Amino acid sequence: MMRKWRTMGLTTMGSALLLLAACGDNAEDNAEASGSNGNAGEANEVADNQSNGDTNATTNASDAELSGEIEFMTLSLLPAFEDYLNNMIADFEEMHPGVDVTLRDVPFEQAEQLVLTQASSGDLPDVMNLNTDFVKQIAAYGALVNMDEAAADVKDDFFEGLWTTGYVNGATYALPWYTTTSGLIYNPDILAEAGFDAPPSTYEEAWEMSQVIYETTGAYGEVVDEQMHMLLPKHDIPTVDEESLTATFNTPEAVELWTHLKEQYDAGLFPDDVMLGQVAMPELYAQERVAWWATGPQLFRQVNDLDPEVYEKSLAAPALLGPAGRQHANPMNISVSSSSDSLDAAVEFAKFVTNAENQLEFGKEASVLPSVAEAAEDPFFAEGEDSEDAMERGRFYAAQQLEDAVNMTPSVEQVSQVNEIIRDSFHRVILEDMDPQVALDQAEAEVNALLQ
Amino acid sequence: MYKARHAWGFLSLPMLLLLIFTFIPSVMAFGLSFTSYNPFRPLEFVGLTNYVDAFQSSLFYSSMWNTIYYWILVTPALVVLPIFVAILVNQKLKGVKLFRLVFYFPVLVSVVVTALLWKWMFAREGIINYFLSLVGFEQIGWLTGSTTVIPALAFVTIWQGFGYYMLFYLASLQGVPKDLYEAAELDGAGFWQKHFHITIPMIKPMIFFVTVISTMGAFKEFTLMLTMTGGGPLNSSTTVVLLVFKEAFERLNMGYASAISFILFAVIMLVTLVNQRLLDKNPNA
Repeated sequence: MMRKWRTMGLTTMGSALLLLAACGDNAEDNAEASGSNGNAGEANEVADNQSNGDTNATTNASDAELSGEIEFMTLSLLPAFEDYLNNMIADFEEMHPGVDVTLRDVPFEQAEQLVLTQASSGDLPDVMNLNTDFVKQIAAYGALVNMDEAAADVKDDFFEGLWTTGYVNGATYALPWYTTTSGLIYNPDILAEAGFDAPPSTYEEAWEMSQVIYETTGAYGEVVDEQMHMLLPKHDIPTVDEESLTATFNTPEAVELWTHLKEQYDAGLFPDDVMLGQVAMPELYAQERVAWWATGPQLFRQVNDLDPEVYEKSLAAPALLGPAGRQHANPMNISVSSSSDSLDAAVEFAKFVTNAENQLEFGKEASVLPSVAEAAEDPFFAEGEDSEDAMERGRFYAAQQLEDAVNMTPSVEQVSQVNEIIRDSFHRVILEDMDPQVALDQAEAEVNALLQ
Repeated sequence: MYKARHAWGFLSLPMLLLLIFTFIPSVMAFGLSFTSYNPFRPLEFVGLTNYVDAFQSSLFYSSMWNTIYYWILVTPALVVLPIFVAILVNQKLKGVKLFRLVFYFPVLVSVVVTALLWKWMFAREGIINYFLSLVGFEQIGWLTGSTTVIPALAFVTIWQGFGYYMLFYLASLQGVPKDLYEAAELDGAGFWQKHFHITIPMIKPMIFFVTVISTMGAFKEFTLMLTMTGGGPLNSSTTVVLLVFKEAFERLNMGYASAISFILFAVIMLVTLVNQRLLDKNPNA
């Protein structure tokens, strides 16, 4: 009898374990998520909310008949942009009296789990603000509306390189929303100490300068971070083919790149803890242990938060260019659930959120860039070239690159896994001295197995 | 009869909650382990495929090994060391309450905060490497080296769990009759003999309990790995529960994740039964 009760007790505890395994909170500072977009939370730091203009996109006859309830899920935009979002929603509801929009802001790091939970109960939010990787992942299951069809009338408004951000399985499943390309924040004191008066403009220059900087000052120059998989497309090495069926990154150029990076690592020119996500770049920069940091200019503010003195003396420059000659852009996305009960209204609202007027307003509020060409033409984004403030100047450079920027993430539903395979493969080269060619062969085989 | 009614009255609500939030989800999860379920797809029965896939996956084996290695480092330390500390803080000494508080304090800190603190301390430029450098050691990448990462994580777990298990032993020690020690002293037993022949046998049920609880804790540890290393470098700190999390919530392979969970469940059951057999066939007797 006692044994029976004991066994039952153990079973209960085991069951609890399973629940814990299945219900853990994601406290991870998810590298993939920040890779998809690291500016959602950062945008919250903008304090001043302005009223939204009310001369929004013109309505047509069919719009007036729209009706239904829409749940709009955003990522970490409240409370900083509460006024902006509420005003925008009020404008839309005024244009469409039959539509009722409910705003629901969720923490960035919990968004995916919340979406999955709601998907399990068949109750996805009608309009969702999602990161790129997740769009591709769930679009493949038919959960999202095909925007090539539903939003064909606004497709040409967006930058061509950004429209395909949510592209997977032959169609686009998201409207690009606010975005950013990279700028370069640099520490002129470290450069001067190493004998340089300007930052590098290409990766080649960057590594040459890094050696001198490291030898003369002990600080790092160029640093390989967690997003190393982006180095391949930046060096004009595509990850997968156009049909998204085969890995295409196992090339002599990739072997050369990895061999070169391994040499830099062995020479002590970049640390492994940044690459493995153990140390955050803003901390490294604020401690003056690195000469520059290439990232979205809206993130420069993090340096100011950590050490205002370092930020004060910092300057901004255009981001480094690789052989591809183009910048990677990381838009946030607006997607519509294909199971929405108010599908027409939801699509219309998604178009409204991402129209030029609203994107321009949000760009000004949050120091981010619009993904719509008309909004990007505003004089606001042409300002800052001579600014002493690194963030303002960085935004100017980032805006200049918007026209040619392209989202470089591979157009496959398993994008996170593909990136992980490439990263792990590179880590084997760096940490376990694996031959770059062998590592790339392995990674190619793994990705091919995944895609077929 | 009267007492039984009262007992059922008190037990009914927790039992109902357990039924709703533990037993029913567990049974459903077991069912899901035989499907290719993800929230965006209709259920499809796949038989034992998920279990077969798990046993053919090198990542599953390495995660299981990481879990067992972590358990081997953590559980003996958390079973044995707190006994000595509990014995020490059970003495009638001046300021003993302060010692109890100091040892228990890490338990009060949340796992995420603990993880971040130790992440900074284990960093290449962290305080641990700084002190090591003072005595001539080179910088060690505690959390970036595949051989050092699990021991580092185990150390943090021991640091945090130490006071928790000490408290269990302390409670257990209160129940050991003092006259046993007095009799042993009259027979000429020394400090170690007294504790080896009296304390350990008397608190054996608690040792078994701590072994089971710390074993389960070690096997289901997840937050620490997620926060401190994300399972890296190269999956060398990916434990089974972290793998379950990644498969379920990052790759949407809920069926496969459920199957891994039940394999882990079976392993924990087995380990617990072995523990029970080793310690005593009937620890509560």
